[in-house]
Amino acid sequence: MLKELVDFMARALVDNPDKVRVSEVGGEQTSVIELRVAKEDLGKVIGKQGRTARAMRTILSAASTKIRKRAVLEIIE
Amino acid sequence: MSTIEIEDKSVEDAVAAACKQLQLPREQLEIEILSKGSSGIFGIVGAKKAKIRVTSKVLPVEAAAQQAKEILSEILRHINLPSVVEYEIENQHVVLNIISNGSGLLIGKRGKTLNALQFLVSKILSKEVGETVPVIVDTENYRIKRQESLTELAQQLSEKVRKSHRPLTTGPMNSQDRRIIHLALQEDQEVRTKSKGEGNLRRVVIYPVRRSKKAPNRNTE
Repeated sequence: MLKELVDFMARALVDNPDKVRVSEVGGEQTSVIELRVAKEDLGKVIGKQGRTARAMRTILSAASTKIRKRAVLEIIE
Repeated sequence: MSTIEIEDKSVEDAVAAACKQLQLPREQLEIEILSKGSSGIFGIVGAKKAKIRVTSKVLPVEAAAQQAKEILSEILRHINLPSVVEYEIENQHVVLNIISNGSGLLIGKRGKTLNALQFLVSKILSKEVGETVPVIVDTENYRIKRQESLTELAQQLSEKVRKSHRPLTTGPMNSQDRRIIHLALQEDQEVRTKSKGEGNLRRVVIYPVRRSKKAPNRNTE
């Protein structure tokens, strides 16, 4: 579910949505969501001064609070 | 931008139908006549319908609002919070209102989550329509409540500044919040406001305005 959330947001932001890959490294309490995008789209998911990435992280943490978990978004280069 | 094709009895009728469908006045439409149509003999034999292609010159806010609503609904669907999004258009701004269970989950600390949603929806929408469209995301009347409490804060700070004759600074605020402070004290003759700092640490400084009774300040404006 968290994975799909990140997937949707990332696809909507980039120019190459077919190159978006999201994987979840799960734990009991905390899961790490790894996001990979095309090299030229990296700026799109990070944004000016990391604003877009921060917005995605904020929304992700709201979603994970809902299911009493913790989730971390990692953007992988 | 949206383009539609319309067929009707005459060009005039087709144009009228296009205006109605796009909810735009005729001046804001670019009209291309594809076929003039003819009434044929006695309006029966060989009657041809008029066909026009219409492109709106302005971005239909209505369409943008609809799209914004869908983007936000989709995000909320993934958050798995039962909610309904309704939209409104207020002076060419798209305003989205989330109706949910009222847990405050979507607001976050000082509107952090709400602002993140607003930023992201606006960004995605702008990408989809190809131009910047400001979007406001609200829930449980948070925006108006925030405005009220910030206005009150501004008045309290102004009071202190007037008494102490010393400038005071607010906490770090985003541009929307700073704007509310500036506007709240705009009419106040005894203080003036200025934003200071960089990026996320930008804050509003409230300065006392020296009156002519006292010795004029070196840098009075």
